[in-house]
Amino acid sequence: MIVYSQWIVIIGFTLLTTLPLLYAILRLTSVTDLTIFQALTNFFADDDTISALKFTLLEATFSTAFTLLLGVPVAWYLGRYRWRRIRLLRALLSIPFVTPSIVVAMGFMMLIDPGGLLDSVGIDLRLETGIIGKLAALTGWSNPGHFIALIAAHVWFNLSLVMRFLEPTIATMDRTWEEQIRFLPAGRTGFGRVKHLWFPLLAPAALCASCLCFIFSFSSFALVKWLTPNQDNLETLMAKSGGSAGIYNYRIDTSEVVLSTSLVQLLILSVAIVLTARIQKKHSSIHSIVAENSHQNRDSVGNKFAIMTITSATCFALLPLALVGISSLRIRNPRTNDYYYSTEAWIEAWQGNYSATAIPEAMYNSLIYCIFTLIIALPLGYMISSAIARLEAENKPKTAQIVEFSSMIPLALSAVMIGLGILIGVLQLAPSMFSWMIIPAIPHIIITTPFVVRIMLPAIRSLEPEYQEQAALLGLSPLRTWWHSRIALLRAPMVVSGALTMAFSLGEFGASWILVRSGSWDSLSVLVDQLMGKPKFDPLIQPMAMAAATTLMILTFVLFLIAERFRNVDEGSGF
Amino acid sequence: MKTKLTFCILLIVTASTAGCLGTLEEEIELNCEVLPAGHEDDGKLRILSYDVLALSDSMIDEFTNQTGYEVEFIKTDDAGGILDQMMLTKNAQQADLMIGLDNTYLQTAIENCLLRDTTYTNNENYQNISSTAMEPYSGPLAIPFDQGPVCLNFDEDFVDGENVTEPTSLWDLTTEVWQGKTAFPSPITSSPGRSFMVATVDYFANDADETTDAFDWWKAMADNGAIFTSGWTEAYETHYTGGYGEYTDGHIGDAHITVSYCQSPGVEAYYSGNYTHSTSLVLPKSTIQQVEYTGIINGAANVIAAELFIEYLLSPEVNSLMPENNLMYPVLEGYGLPETDGYNFHSDIPQENANINIETINNEMENWLEQWQSATD
Repeated sequence: MIVYSQWIVIIGFTLLTTLPLLYAILRLTSVTDLTIFQALTNFFADDDTISALKFTLLEATFSTAFTLLLGVPVAWYLGRYRWRRIRLLRALLSIPFVTPSIVVAMGFMMLIDPGGLLDSVGIDLRLETGIIGKLAALTGWSNPGHFIALIAAHVWFNLSLVMRFLEPTIATMDRTWEEQIRFLPAGRTGFGRVKHLWFPLLAPAALCASCLCFIFSFSSFALVKWLTPNQDNLETLMAKSGGSAGIYNYRIDTSEVVLSTSLVQLLILSVAIVLTARIQKKHSSIHSIVAENSHQNRDSVGNKFAIMTITSATCFALLPLALVGISSLRIRNPRTNDYYYSTEAWIEAWQGNYSATAIPEAMYNSLIYCIFTLIIALPLGYMISSAIARLEAENKPKTAQIVEFSSMIPLALSAVMIGLGILIGVLQLAPSMFSWMIIPAIPHIIITTPFVVRIMLPAIRSLEPEYQEQAALLGLSPLRTWWHSRIALLRAPMVVSGALTMAFSLGEFGASWILVRSGSWDSLSVLVDQLMGKPKFDPLIQPMAMAAATTLMILTFVLFLIAERFRNVDEGSGF
Repeated sequence: MKTKLTFCILLIVTASTAGCLGTLEEEIELNCEVLPAGHEDDGKLRILSYDVLALSDSMIDEFTNQTGYEVEFIKTDDAGGILDQMMLTKNAQQADLMIGLDNTYLQTAIENCLLRDTTYTNNENYQNISSTAMEPYSGPLAIPFDQGPVCLNFDEDFVDGENVTEPTSLWDLTTEVWQGKTAFPSPITSSPGRSFMVATVDYFANDADETTDAFDWWKAMADNGAIFTSGWTEAYETHYTGGYGEYTDGHIGDAHITVSYCQSPGVEAYYSGNYTHSTSLVLPKSTIQQVEYTGIINGAANVIAAELFIEYLLSPEVNSLMPENNLMYPVLEGYGLPETDGYNFHSDIPQENANINIETINNEMENWLEQWQSATD
C-alpha cells in the first residue's frame, strides 16, 4: 500500500513537473509551426539569443568561480576554529541564500548607487566612472561595472552554498589524519597536504556547490533584470517575450524566442543537474566517512586573519539587506533634493495608496501561497525521499537514481517556462480554474519540492530500520508505529525543510511574475517589482517598494531562523 | 548515469515530436459575436489595466459607493501587456473592462474581436470628448479616456545652446555630439517606444530627403551608439539625465535625450516645486498624439458594471484628475493640465503631430517592427 502510494506520488510529481513544460513546448511548436530541431537551429542563427547565451554562460561561470574563491576561506575558517555563537554566525552567513532575489536586487542597487557606499570608496559600478570607467576604456569592455555588480550579487547569494557543503566536512574531519600525513613524505609540505588530503576530501563538496552555484546563476532572473539593464540572460530574454508567447497568429517571433531559448536552457541545466547528482553522491559518501570517524574537532580561537575573514563575510552578507531597510525610511524632498527619514512610505505602502496593492493584502496572498505550498510540498518531498531510501535499501540503486533525478528536474526548468506552461495549460483544460487564487502556488510546489527531498533524504537514509521493528514490538498501532519510529525522529529536518519551503515560496519571483499578473493576487515579490516599475516622479514610490521588500525580507528571515533552530549542524546536504 | 541521460533524452525527444502532431487546439473562429462570459459574475468588476494607471483608493471607493460594485484590478506592465493578456485569454477572458490600450494597439484588439460595443456613445458626456482624442478612433468599441503627445525629451543642462545646440532635425542626433547619448524604449516591448517609431515613419516620409526613410535613421542611430531599452522606465529613469532618474537607485545617466511625453517636463516640475531641466523636442511630425482607451472586453461577465465604470471614468470629476493620477491630459473639452508648480507651463505643445491612421498602423506594424529590428541589430 505504502509502496503504491509512493509510486503514485513520484509519478504525480514527475507529471506535475514535466507536463507544464511539455504543454508549453507543444503549444509553442504548434504556434510557431517549428519542430524542436528547427527551433534549436534558429536559436544559433539569431544574434540576440546567441548574445544572451554567451552572457549567461559567462556570468554563471564567473559567479561560480568567485563564489568558490571567496566561499572556501569562509568555510575553512568557520569549520576549522571554535566560534562563539556559531549557530547565529552560520545563520547570518546563510541568510543570503534564502533572501528573495528581488530583495537582493534592491539591496545591491542601493549598494552600487552613485553616492552610495561603494561609490564613496571610488568604485562606481553603476555609472562606471573612475577606476571602472578606466577599465572599460582600457579593455573596450562595455558595462564592466554592471557585470561586476551582478557577479558580486551572485557571489553574495550563493556564498552560503559553498559554506554549507564544505564546512561540515572541514569541522568533522579527524585532526589526527592531518597529523599522520605530516609524517609521510607526501604530506611534508603544505602543498602536499592540500594535494593528498584536503583536495580529495573537499573537492567533491566544492564541485557540488559549484554545480549548484552555476545552476542558480545560470537561471538568475531578478538580479539580471535589475543589475545589468543593458544585457539579457536566457531567463530575462524569455520573460520579456513570455507575455505574448503561445498565442496563435500573434507575435510569432516571441513564441520562437521562448521555444528555442527554453530548450537550450533545459539542455544545459539538465547536464548540470546530472553532474550535480553524481558529484553529490560522491560527496555524501566522503562526508559520511569523515563524520563517522570524528567529532567536532575545532582548533581554539581563530587567528586575526580568520576573524577578519568571518567578520567581513558577515558584514558582506548583511550590508545589502540593511540598506534595503534604511532605504524604506529615506525620502527625498523634491524641492530641495535633500533626504530625510520618515515612515511616510511605510504608511502609504501599508495602506495601498498609489493604486498599488497594500502590503497586508500582498502579504496575505504570499502567506496563502506559501502555506499551500508547504501543505503539498512537504508530504510530497517526504514520500519521494522515503521511496528513494527504500529503493536503496532494497538494493535497487538504478531505480533510486532515476527517482532522485526526476525529483531534481525542477531545478533544470525555467521558472518562466513553468509559469507559462501552467498558464496555457489551465486556460486550455479548465478556464474556470483560472480565477482560482491557488494557481500561482503550483509552480512554488514544483520549485520547492526538490529542496525538501535534498534535506529529508539524508535524514531518512540515516534512520535505523530497527526502530520500526522495536515500535511494532511494543504493540503500537501502525499509525503510532510510523509516527514514533519515523516522523518523531524526522522532526528537525521536517521543520527545516518546511521553513525553507515557505521561505522559497515567499520569495519566488519568476513564475509568479507570469502567473500572478494573470490574476489579481499580487504577492509581495511581485508588488516590489510593480512599485519599482512605476514612474517615480513622486519620490515616495521607491521607498514604498523598499518597504514592501523589507516586509518580505523580515518574513523570510523569521522562517529561516526557525529552520536554523532545528538544523543538524553536521549534516552536509548543502541546504 | 546512462539511465539519467536516457531519461533526459526521452524527455526531449518526446517534446521534439510535438511539431509534427499538429495544433493542440483548433482556434475558434470568431466573427465578432458577443462571446459568453469567460468567468462567473460574482458582482465584482474586474479591470485589466497597466501598472502605471493610478486611480486613487478614494476614487475607486466612490465608484463602489455610487454603484455597489466592488472593483478588482488585474495589472500588466503596459498597453502591450494588456493586449497580450486579452489575446492569451481570448476564449476565457478574466476581466470585464480594459483600461489602457492606446491607438497603436487598439486596431489589433478590434480586428481580433477582443472588444464589444459600449452604450457610452449614447451618453451626453460622449459629445464632450475632444476632437483630438476622437481622431484616431471614434467607434463604439473603445472610448478615449486620456491622451498626450509622445515626443523626445532632452536635458537642458547638456543642450546648453553654446556647446550643444537644440537639434533642428532628427538627423542631428546621428552626429558625433550625440554619440552614445540617446536612449530609446524598444517599439517591440514599449508603448511610448512604439508610438515614437510610428512618428518617425511619418516624419521621414514627409521630410525633404526622399532617398531615406525612418529605418535608415534608426540604423544611423544604432550606429551612433543609441541605447535601446525594453521599457520606458529603463530609458527615462535609468539612462536619461534630465529626469527624476538621477535621484533613483540604479540610475546610469548616459543619455541626454529619450522618448517620453511632451508633458513629462511639466510632471517633473509639478513634483519638484516648479523646477526641471528637462524639456521637449517638438519638431514637426516627430511627435505623435497617444490616445488611451477603455473598452468592454468581449467575454466580460459584468457588462453593466463595466458600462458604469466607463461613465465614471469619463465623468468630469474623475477625468479632470488624469494629469495628477495618470500623468496624461484629460479627454474632455475644457479640461487641461493644472497650473500648479509649473505643470502646464513646462508641458510643451507639439507643432505638428505625426498623422498615421490606426488601420495603417495595424496593417504595417509587423513590417515596421521587423524593419526596426534589422535596422537596430
